[in-house]
Amino acid sequence: MLNDSDRFSDVDIIHRVINGDVNAFEFLLKKYREHVLRIVSRHIPYQETEEIAEDVFVRAYQSLPTFKQKSGFKQWLSGIAVRTCHDFWRKQYRSRELPMSSLSEKHQDWLEHTISDQSSDSFNEHSSQKEARELLDWALERLSAEERMVIELVYLEGLSVKEAGGLLGWSTANVKVRSFRSRKKLEKILKKSMEKKGEEA
Amino acid sequence: MKPFKENDEKLKKALMVAYHAKEKAEVGEGWQMKVMNRIRNLGPLPEQTDYFTLFGQAVWRFAPAACVLIVALTLFLVKLDFIPEYELLNSLMSNPAEFTLEQLFPV
Repeated sequence: MLNDSDRFSDVDIIHRVINGDVNAFEFLLKKYREHVLRIVSRHIPYQETEEIAEDVFVRAYQSLPTFKQKSGFKQWLSGIAVRTCHDFWRKQYRSRELPMSSLSEKHQDWLEHTISDQSSDSFNEHSSQKEARELLDWALERLSAEERMVIELVYLEGLSVKEAGGLLGWSTANVKVRSFRSRKKLEKILKKSMEKKGEEA
Repeated sequence: MKPFKENDEKLKKALMVAYHAKEKAEVGEGWQMKVMNRIRNLGPLPEQTDYFTLFGQAVWRFAPAACVLIVALTLFLVKLDFIPEYELLNSLMSNPAEFTLEQLFPV
């Protein structure tokens, strides 16, 4: 049996919401809930996901009158989700307390092991994904909010420069420059942590 | 150990795997109700008055009439054989009211 969100197109529902039917927004919320949660989960710490996803839908609701049908609602909503995550990191970094913790020995070991001469499967064989994720979070913490978002979208998610630009609301040239610089900075951070370990040993 | 750059792809792959393995948050019906309550509290969306768009619409509504008027006036003037400079000079030269140039343009 078809429900309302199947029978009506996104545009029909958006028109209803704009014309004052606030409850119609629930169809959009239900339809795109998983999509938004998937985006937010990738960029935001687990415990903050619910709140940020909530903010995404509230922002989407408030911005509905500005929605242009050019790109489709899903793409438009994805942009709002990515920019909300970006705003979250901007706020977080502003209130960040220094100094930040240094990389633990087990993470340094993981890094050394991964970039050592062993087979490419070494990661799966010898290291836990938990350590890798913690190392990644540690390194991303040392970047700015902009650098973090661009690294995640271009370098880790494999989006094209154009796609990342569309989501962040940046020009293609801006994404290119920032992704290059961010990648260099990330490389430098990881390299430095390796050197530190070498000095200690 | 190989130089850092040579192992970049290897590290990238490992970090990508870790990045994508991150647990996806699950939310219940309670969350959806909470979001809808917040949205209901915001109330219906205000009708947007986009003055620029309204101005544009008003201007374009009169565009065909303005075009017709311009064409009609042009045809009328062509038919009259009206040349502004010639008409002005003619009026000065013929001087029907016996005015002199000095009287017309006092120094």
